Order: sequence, then C-alpha cells, then structure tokens
Amino acid sequence: MSVETTQIDGTEYTKVAEVDEIENGRGIAVEIDGIEVAVFNADGEFYAISNRCSHQHAPLCKAGEKKINADHTWTESRGGVNAEECTVSCPWHLWEWDLETGENEASGQRIATFDVVVEGDDIYAQV
Amino acid sequence: MGSSIQRLDPDREVPEEAYDVDVVDMDFHVNPVEEELRAYVEDDRALDRLTTEFGMWPIPDKWDAAYAIAEGNEGLFTQGRAEDAEDVRQACEKFAIDEPIVNCALNMLPHQHHPVLKNAVLEAGNSYMLDHFVDEGVPTAMSIAKWDVDAALSELDRWGDEDGVAAVYSWFDPREPWGVEKFDPVFEKLEDLGLPLILHGSLAFWPQHSYIGDEMLTWTEVLGLDWPIHGMVNTVNMIMRGVFDRYPDLNVVFQEAGHWWLPFVRYRMDEFYEMHPEDIQITPRKFEDGEHYLEKAPSEYLRENIYVCTQPMALPRRAGEAKSLLNLSMAQDTFMYSSDWPHQTLDPPTWFFTSRAFRDDEDLRNAVLHQNARDILRL
Repeated sequence: MSVETTQIDGTEYTKVAEVDEIENGRGIAVEIDGIEVAVFNADGEFYAISNRCSHQHAPLCKAGEKKINADHTWTESRGGVNAEECTVSCPWHLWEWDLETGENEASGQRIATFDVVVEGDDIYAQV
Repeated sequence: MGSSIQRLDPDREVPEEAYDVDVVDMDFHVNPVEEELRAYVEDDRALDRLTTEFGMWPIPDKWDAAYAIAEGNEGLFTQGRAEDAEDVRQACEKFAIDEPIVNCALNMLPHQHHPVLKNAVLEAGNSYMLDHFVDEGVPTAMSIAKWDVDAALSELDRWGDEDGVAAVYSWFDPREPWGVEKFDPVFEKLEDLGLPLILHGSLAFWPQHSYIGDEMLTWTEVLGLDWPIHGMVNTVNMIMRGVFDRYPDLNVVFQEAGHWWLPFVRYRMDEFYEMHPEDIQITPRKFEDGEHYLEKAPSEYLRENIYVCTQPMALPRRAGEAKSLLNLSMAQDTFMYSSDWPHQTLDPPTWFFTSRAFRDDEDLRNAVLHQNARDILRL
C-alpha cells in the first residue's frame, strides 16, 4: 500500500482507506510508521482511533465482527460500533471507547484519536 | 510525514511472534446447543424430565455476575459458540493457539439439585464430546461428576482409555473439598490412566443464605475472589490430608481459581505446618497408614502436583514486579496458559509477547505456554 497524503489547512493527512472499503458498523486497521490506527464507519461518519485497546492490546478494528455460530447466541457480533453514542466496544471484553475523545469512562483511561476528513471517495487521517 | 503504511491482517489478533511459539490452551470451552445435547441423553425418563417445561428454575440461582457485563449473560458467548472441531480451529487461528484442550463447559451442573438428571446431562455431554471432538482429533478434557463418585468411575471406565482424551474435567465449589477420602478411587483411577484432574470453577458460588454469600453483590467479589478462595481451600485440603503422599503421580489443575495466591499459600502452609504438625497423624489417610507427618514440605506438593491456569493473567505492568511475582509463584513449575474462550474473561496470549517478564525469559514463557501442559496431559 503506497502512502498518499493531502494538505488541509496546512496540515498533512494520510489516506487510510476508501469509503466503500469500510462497511457501516465495521472498521479496518492500518499501520502508519508503526502506529496502528483503526478507522470506523458509524452510520456514514468516519472516525480514527488507536487500534489497540489499552486493556489487553485487542485489535479494535475487529469490533462488530460476526461471532462463530452467531445464530446460536443472543447478540450477533463481537463488540461493535454504536453510532448513536459515538463509541466502539472492544471485541474481547467490551471496553467502550468514545470515538471522538478516546476515553473509556469506567477506567478513566484514554487512547489516541486522530482527525479524519473525507475527500471524494477517500478517507484521510492526521497521524 | 508518514513514510510507510500497510493494511493490517484482520485475521490475526495477537502479536506475530505468538505464531512462532507452541501454545497449548488448557481451557477452551465448547457449547453444544441444548437440542444437540438431548440426542445424547440415553435414559428416556431423564430425557422426559429434562425436556418438560416446569416454569420457574428449580432452585434459586446466583449469577449476579451477569449484571456487571454490558451484554449480561451473553457475555458467556462474547466470542461466539463452538459446536464442532472446525469452529474450534477457526477460533484458535485468531489467537495463535496450537493445541486447545476443549471441554463441554457444563459448569452449571454442580449447583443443580437432582443427581440422576445431573448424571444424565454429564454423560450426554461426554458422548457429544466423543463424537464431535475426540473422534475429530481435538484433545479433550472429559467431565466427571464430583457429586457421585460411582458415576465418575463409571464414566472413566467408559472412555478413560480413548485416544484423544487428554484430561479429566470436574469442578471445585464451596461444598466438600477434594481432599476428602471418598475421592480416593477416582485419584487411583486417574493415576492408572495417566490423566490429570482439571478442576474448573463451577457456578456454585459462595453458599446462598449465608451472611457473606448474600452480601456479595458484584462480579469482582463473586467471580474475582470467591473462586480463588475455594481454589485455595481445595489445594490446601488436598495437600494437608495427604492426597499426594498416597497418589504422588496425581496432577491437579485449577482453572479460573486465580494464580497470584500461590506465594501466600506457599509460605503460609510451610510456616503453619512446620510450627505445629502434630494433627497430620490424625487425618484419615495418615491415621490409616500409620504415618506421622507429610513426606515433604507442603509447598513442595504445590510445586509438584498442583497447577493453576493463568486466565485472566492480570500481570503487573512493571516487568520487574511481574518477574518477582512469577518467581514467587513458582510459575515455571505451576502456571499453565488458558484462554477461557469464548467467555467475557477471554485471555489471548498477548502478555507473553508484550511484557519483558516473558520476553526476556524464553524458558519461563515456554513452560507456561506449553511445556507444563505437555508434561502432564495425555497427548
């Protein structure tokens, strides 16, 4: 994957995905210069946040993945995006992270968030 | 300016190095759906009673832990539900688990009331495991009743010799501890078969209608501390009543009983025993055998016969502190990795690659991730 960047108001942003690559309620993860960034689609709004839950380093990009034999469980996915609350819950232990602030209310811990802009079909994050 | 960018492999959820190390998972739960299990209940009378809707649950239940979890009881299936060997393999690939030791996870049985029905469900679960896992080459921990020694022995006779049965699975709870002499025939049989006894926490928590039990309202107390206390009680009970002097080759593995209590129990047992050991001679096994003392210091049985699973690891963040705690716990001889898939307490093997306590000590890491398990499992 080659590095594509754009300048917005004098700040450099890096292309992380195209809009149609991230389905609603799901995420992808990229590593930019060693920094793991997860990008989520919350009802058409895109958010970028550290890909690693501070609890046990779970990859947050997996949030919303369908469970094995989901038909035999009550909820279909491993964690997931809550667009209304603007949060993502971790696929391992459901720690809930605010997509705008990176905060987990219960622990008071915070992980990094990154500004996102969408230009045409391209999603850019400032890392 | 970002000079490199790559899309991460979404199918790998733990550090890359984990895929280069042999990982044995001592506690991987599979959960057959009820309809599937019914087909394996052999007695028509038991099946009729098990499948008739009686309304309210037969006994008061205590699973307050679910109130703590965002998805309530669904937390038990946070990762999904494995029903056959292919499901297990699919789940293990994400977490670099090479050898999952699967169990049927009928952890609600010990606190149910009716022994005949409990035995019928337990036997059905074992038959299901034989068909879906043992015969498919997945090493399996098969269940035995704690509440019925004759039934346990009968089950061991039924499948104890089967290739693919790697261990025996039962439970610790707040009832009779495993040091009680009535379990001797089980221990003797396990020694003969070369199978370790895995004791998992059961959903029988601290007794209800007790001052302490009824006031434990949080998950942190109920699952976090109740089980470890019973794990300690069972461990010390087995050691002090001479189980391992009579059955020196018996290996016992505690699951979800915690592990950081080992330093406390290690030094506490030795101190109390060496200070005043004159009651050992009147414990039933020693009395019967005419022996006066234990053959070794109590902590030596802890090191040689007792193992504890690590989930959840809860490793101190500072590597130096973690290393000290691991040493005091005799982790190289006593710890075994477990994931607890698919539950809300899932513990993928990340610690072993993110903490310097393990990164700097390959022997320790290998012991916990696979060697201790391979030493005692019948693989």
